[in-house]
Formats: sequence, structure tokens, C-alpha cells
Amino acid sequence: MLALQLTITGLQTGALYALTAVGFSLIFGSTRIFHFAHGATFIIAAYLFYYMNVSGYGLIAGIAAATAGAIAFGLLLNRFVYVPIQRDEGSFFTVFVASFGIGIVVQNVVGMIFGRGYVTVSTPLSFSVEIMEGLYVAPIAWISMLCAAVFFGILWGFLKYSQMGKALRALADNPELVRVFGLNPRFIAASAFTIGSILVVPAAIISGATSGLNPAMGHHVMLISLAATIVGGIGSVPGTLLAGLALGLAESLALLYVDSQWTEAVTFAILFLFIIIRPSGLLGRSAAH
Amino acid sequence: MSKSVVLAAHNITAGYGGHPAINDISVELREDEVLCLIGHNGAGKSTLMKCLFGLLASEAGSITIDGEETTKETARQVADRGVAMVPEGRGVFPSLSVRDIFSLGMHAAGIPKKERADRVDWVLDILPAIKEFMNRPAGTLSGGQQQMVSIGRALLNRPRILLMDEPSIGLAPKLFQDLLAPIRALQQREKLSILLVEQNVREALKISDRAVVMKSGSMIWEGMPEELHDNERLMELY
Ligand SMILES: Nc1ncnc2c1ncn2[C@@H]1O[C@H](COP(=O)(O)OP(=O)(O)OP(=O)(O)O)[C@@H](O)[C@H]1O
Ligand SMILES: [Mg+2]
Repeated sequence: MLALQLTITGLQTGALYALTAVGFSLIFGSTRIFHFAHGATFIIAAYLFYYMNVSGYGLIAGIAAATAGAIAFGLLLNRFVYVPIQRDEGSFFTVFVASFGIGIVVQNVVGMIFGRGYVTVSTPLSFSVEIMEGLYVAPIAWISMLCAAVFFGILWGFLKYSQMGKALRALADNPELVRVFGLNPRFIAASAFTIGSILVVPAAIISGATSGLNPAMGHHVMLISLAATIVGGIGSVPGTLLAGLALGLAESLALLYVDSQWTEAVTFAILFLFIIIRPSGLLGRSAAH
Repeated sequence: MSKSVVLAAHNITAGYGGHPAINDISVELREDEVLCLIGHNGAGKSTLMKCLFGLLASEAGSITIDGEETTKETARQVADRGVAMVPEGRGVFPSLSVRDIFSLGMHAAGIPKKERADRVDWVLDILPAIKEFMNRPAGTLSGGQQQMVSIGRALLNRPRILLMDEPSIGLAPKLFQDLLAPIRALQQREKLSILLVEQNVREALKISDRAVVMKSGSMIWEGMPEELHDNERLMELY
């Protein structure tokens, strides 16, 4: 029964990891920008939702604020940090350091405003109910999984059938050729940031309503996103999705054997295993990049 | 009666990171002609073409299309004036299918949805070999097949002015001849203007009306293809 309990918890966590990681993977895959501040997007969305909630604006306004905040942060960062760095032929490393620094700033500012401790948004859906003897599941767990399924369904259709979806893959393949086609690479990159940032929102909101938030969570979110992107295969959205789910499950099931403080170590162990055994990831193309 | 000039570079200087790759280049492409641009590797042919298409900003000089200045326009704007480019090297996105590449190209060019199927049929008439691999990811095609797709994609825009940078790369000589014939026929039927950069000089000159030769970023010769046909003359110039 414990294993089943942990599997369900793991799937819930994994669904949220998958959403966040796919957002990062989509941005990195199409623009080659190492958006380390993706974790900060998560923090901003989560705390905006929390703020709207404690201020009594209600659920819909909270979701709207979190979404708007996430998109605005992603777009502004792209426009005022990444684009200028790239225009000056800034290296991968410059982008990384800038992005990392902004993540820290966001963490500190949020910490100043809301405090460094844990906060939670409690909803009637957050409380576990016994669905079978000895098996406790909160309704929000099902909501997470459903939410992830819906988002991935929409994303899949979008990437496969819309022209922007094709343009995102085109940008990943060859940015120079995108211009020859008469498309604007900047606009496509901005779209990648918009979509990638939106994908963080459900995870941010649901985390706030389940495990709770603290300003330093961005690092964990980033670690998971990065691990899932590498384990799934860089540039592969389905691979990242699977890897996110698997990492959530592994973290949860590891509790059968180890103490909860080791969950990050489990993530790292899986990451290193893949780097050594299968560097191209689950569904990645050849490692030559 | 001389034909009117559709695309012109006036004293263009351009390069990368402050080092000019082309110097004070002037060239005119006229209506209903194939102009062949030849020169050594690194002579600056591709650089000139990128300037003409709005992919690279020039440091000095100006560019005009139909007499209107386009020096500062983006590739998007130049394309809207009826210009299409077949770039050097692989002109396809490896992870997209040929069908998707065509539809993305037409979407980018703002071609109305209801016209798109007809356009594709029209291109498949000119390059029928593409029919065989419409649904395959372009990355799985041979170099020659990719080149056909790249040319087909440019033709979908039904350009008045076509810039082709070494379309023969990756094509068997026989295939290249087979490709040039329908393009020349199309050019004559529709009175297209084509700027053709080619290493495969002999074949290219056969379908050209005029030729220019570049060396080390400068224009060194301009004239009729017949004058270049005898090898000695070419040798001299290079
Ligand atoms: N992206 C670039 N960055 C820096 N220098 C470049 C770049 N592209 C070309 N060059 C330089 O500009 C010069 C002209 O190059 P260009 O590509 O225009 O030559 P080309 O005539 O097209 O040669 P090829 O026949 O080999 O295609 C060369 O000296 C080349 O080294
Ligand atoms: Mg060239």
C-alpha cells in the first residue's frame, strides 16, 4: 500500500516536474539560451498566486496574475538581457551567469517581501481523503495529473500543427535560414519564452497549494528541469516529459529505501547515470551538438 | 532596346566584424535575364548576395529594387518585393518534413491559404522528383534532394527575382543539368530575373545571358558568357 501511495504522489510530483521541465527544454531547444532563471519564473508565478489568494482576489484572478507575471518576466528577460548579450556575440557562459544572477535577485526580492520561510495556499482540495484503506490522496493530485495531460495535449497539437510550432523547430535547426524564409527569429524566440513560461504556471500554483513555497525553491525547480532536459534528450519534448515524470516517481519511490533528505541526491544519481551511459538521453538524437 | 534594371547594388562595401569582405561593388540585374556571378572561394559572392537580400547590413553604398532604395530593408521586406533566395548549403530544416517546409515558407511569405495547394502543385510540376519524398523529414534526404527542396521552396513564392547561391552543390552533374533546364524554361516563360552564383561555371554559363567575375571582394570583369567560354580567358581572370 505504501508503494501505491508513493507512486501516486510520485506521479503528481512528476506531472508538475514534467510541465516545468518541458518549458525549459522548449526554450533551450529552440533558442539555445540557457534560461537558468526559469526557476525564478516559477517563484514569481507561485508568489503572485499566493499574494492574490491571501489578498482575497480569488482563484481566477490568482491564475491570471500568475500567468501574466510569468509571461512578462520571461519576455522582459529575453528582450533586455538575452537579446543584448547575443547581439554582442556574448557566449553561452555570459548568458548563464546573467541568468543565474537574475535568479538570485528574484529569490532575494521575493524573500524580502514574503519572508524566507514556507508559505502555503490551502484550498479545500489540498486535504487528503482516504480513497481506499490506507491510501490517502488529495483531490489536487488528480487535478495536477489532469492539468498536465491537458497542457501536454494542447502543446503537442500546437507543435505539430501550427506554423509557430514548425517555426520553433526551424529556429532550433537553423536560425540563419529562418531569416532566409522571411521569418523573424526574434519573434519566434519571444514565442518560445511565452510558451515556456506559461508551462511553469500550473506547476507553480499547484506546488503552492500542496507542498508549499519558499523563495529558494527556484533552484530545485531548475535542477529538475535541467536533469529532465538532459535525461530526456536535449531538444526532445516527449523525452523531457517522460524524464520529468520518471524523476518525480523516482524521488517518491526512493522514500521506500532512503530518507527524504536524499531526494535531490536521487535526481543527481539518475542524471549522472544518463550522462555516463546514454549521453543523448532517452529520446535524444545523436549527442553531436 | 535595353532591358530595365530590377535589382542593383551601387558601390556596396560590406563584411563581418569590421573586415570588409566585398569592396565598392556595383552590379545590375535586369529584367528577364540570368546573370552568372563567378569567382574563387572567398571572393565575396555569398556576402554580396546576403546584402542584396537584406540578410547582411552594408557599410557603404546602396541597393535598389525597381529603382526604390532597399538598403536598410530586412529580408522579410525584400521578399515582399518579389525576391526569393536559395541560400548556400543546406537550405532546409532537417527536423521538418518537406511538406512542412513548404507550408512554413508560404506562411512566412503571406500566401493565402486557399492558394497554397496550387502553388505546391505548380512547383511539383517543375521539380517532379520532390513528389517522392514530400512527407519525409528533410534531414533524411540526400544533399541533392535537399537542394531541390530548397529551390522548390524559393519558387513557391513565385518570385520575380531569384537569387541562387551555388544550387549545384551536392547535385550530380547530370542532375544539375536536368535542374537547370526547367529553371531556364520557367525563367523565359515568366520573364524572371535570376542571379546565379556557381562554381560549376561551364553549365551555368550555358543558361546565362551575362556574366560577372569577382576576385578578393572586387568586381573584375563583366561581359557575355561566350567570351568566357574559352577556358583561357577564364584562367586569365581568376
Ligand atoms: N560569417 C562570416 N564571418 C566572418 N567572415 C566571413 C563570414 N562569411 C564569410 N566570411 C569571409 O568573407 C569573405 C567572403 O566570403 P564569401 O562567403 O562571400 O565568399 P564566396 O565567394 O561565397 O566563397 P565560396 O565560393 O567559397 O562560397 C571570406 O574571406 C570569408 O572568410
Ligand atoms: Mg559562397
